[in-house]
Amino acid sequence: MFATQLKNELWKLAARKRTHIGFAAFVLVQLTILLLLQLPKAKRAFAQLLTSNGYLPGDYYAGLTLGLLIIVFTISLLGALYVALVGGDVVAKEVEDGGMRMILSRPISRLRLLTIKWLACAIYTFVLMLFLGVTSLLAGTIYRHGLGNLFVFVPHEGIFSAFDTGEGLYRYCQSVLVLGIVTQIITAVAFMFSCFKVKPAAATILTLSVMFVDFVLRNIPYFASFQKYFVSYHTACWVRTYNDVIPWWSIGESLAYLTGIGATCWIIGAMVFCARDFKS
Amino acid sequence: MITLRNVSKRFGKRVAVANLNLDIPRGGIFGLLGHNGAGKSTTIGMVLGQVTPDAGSVQIGGIDVFDDRQRALAGVGAIFEAPAFCEYLSGWRNLRILCEYSAPFDPGRAREVVELVGLTGRIDDRVATYSHGMRQRLALAQALLPRPELLILDEPSEGLDPEGIHEMRNLILRLNREWGLTILFSSHLLAEVQQLCSDLAVMREGELLFAGNWRELDADRQWVKIRADRQADAERGLQSAGLVDLFEYDGRGRLATGVAVPQLAAWLVSNSFAVEALHPIERTLEDFYLETIHNVRDAAQK
Repeated sequence: MFATQLKNELWKLAARKRTHIGFAAFVLVQLTILLLLQLPKAKRAFAQLLTSNGYLPGDYYAGLTLGLLIIVFTISLLGALYVALVGGDVVAKEVEDGGMRMILSRPISRLRLLTIKWLACAIYTFVLMLFLGVTSLLAGTIYRHGLGNLFVFVPHEGIFSAFDTGEGLYRYCQSVLVLGIVTQIITAVAFMFSCFKVKPAAATILTLSVMFVDFVLRNIPYFASFQKYFVSYHTACWVRTYNDVIPWWSIGESLAYLTGIGATCWIIGAMVFCARDFKS
Repeated sequence: MITLRNVSKRFGKRVAVANLNLDIPRGGIFGLLGHNGAGKSTTIGMVLGQVTPDAGSVQIGGIDVFDDRQRALAGVGAIFEAPAFCEYLSGWRNLRILCEYSAPFDPGRAREVVELVGLTGRIDDRVATYSHGMRQRLALAQALLPRPELLILDEPSEGLDPEGIHEMRNLILRLNREWGLTILFSSHLLAEVQQLCSDLAVMREGELLFAGNWRELDADRQWVKIRADRQADAERGLQSAGLVDLFEYDGRGRLATGVAVPQLAAWLVSNSFAVEALHPIERTLEDFYLETIHNVRDAAQK
């Protein structure tokens, strides 16, 4: 029965017009980024970076590298917003339009209902990240007629790596999987706010505000020694899969930290949801 | 079927329901009346376990809703004034999803209720294309899916056109008579309530003003409508003479026990009132409701 309920909840999420528009918008953004990366200035800067470090631009300006660049920009521009929108909507929207009252007139426990919705949201977010990973790679590969080698440069993480096709693809897949896990934190925060008596848009805005403030504070030099307390430090762990030697311990630590925050959000959300009154 | 004992609920400083005691018998149609903010929806919310009372207990079939909500609601179906569905899914898919929140979906049963509510031809269409009346019928179908014994309808006729109201009324009567469902419903439409039930509760500002059979209350008393010159003097005089118990609006009066209409006519004529109209009238639920809500009725009769 639980699996059926989860399937139904996923069905509800997947059938929404917003999902179709959202996924289409992601593809559009990816294509736009691909176009922008073709600008002579962007190409020149990229070539300069590679040649100054002894690499041939032709070997690395390829499908894998473009795919990674596309996914990074897409997540930064639209990913967080969209995930917050979905998470913020899932409970608050149903409460707002009255659907929740109809569901809660049935003999289902609130905790079970919330668990189903949470899981559906988590799966949806994970699938979205996989979708972005696949479409970004496809866009880059089709444009450059092949996967090629992978070049990764992330200054604030101290990553400067180059991989051949096989290793590059392996690293790319790993990073997308970790990305699918770390973005759950945005879903969790949005979901928590969604359980409060707020409008769906308010839950989304609150989530984005929390993430933005976290990011800004983390980048203030004064807080440098508190880096590991910020969520954005841990969400960045997905790019650490591009280190020459993957620091699994550090990635695991970040995932554990994010799981803890997510679990806290879940508990707060569940407490609020179970205690609140539902009335027209 | 439903028992509320000393139930109270506040929202901030506002008292939504104050010390409510109510028994709703099995097998009948029970109306819940009151103006906006009277506490009807809060009461229904508490019966369904959606609103937690500050004090008191709510039981359905002897099971406390807040101790064992799932068992208490096992035989309950409910619809609300503005039913909300997944607009982008078909009516059938919506029924399936809503049903599977609490029980396995039985397509045979679903076809049966869809036919009953008259949605057979449109059940595979997206809900976004449904009219308000069709949504209301779909809501009723989902409420009937788990074979409930108790159906709770919160303003079921709200927003429906006259034809829709007529259909909904017939459906409610049919569900009660043929399917044997106990029905609790709230409504602003007094004419609707009058045609559906005799047992009802009247609430005002969270307080229960009346609960019981309103038709039996004045069954042995006659009501008349009087129009005379010097109307106010005539009403005062008839009350002083002990012929009329009380007057409501528009010259409507309740005769004292044992008094007949000719006695009134005789008194008015003998006291030189020019009588323009004097005739017995049938009490409507509206008369009863207005009288109750305005606290005209004396405490003993309440």
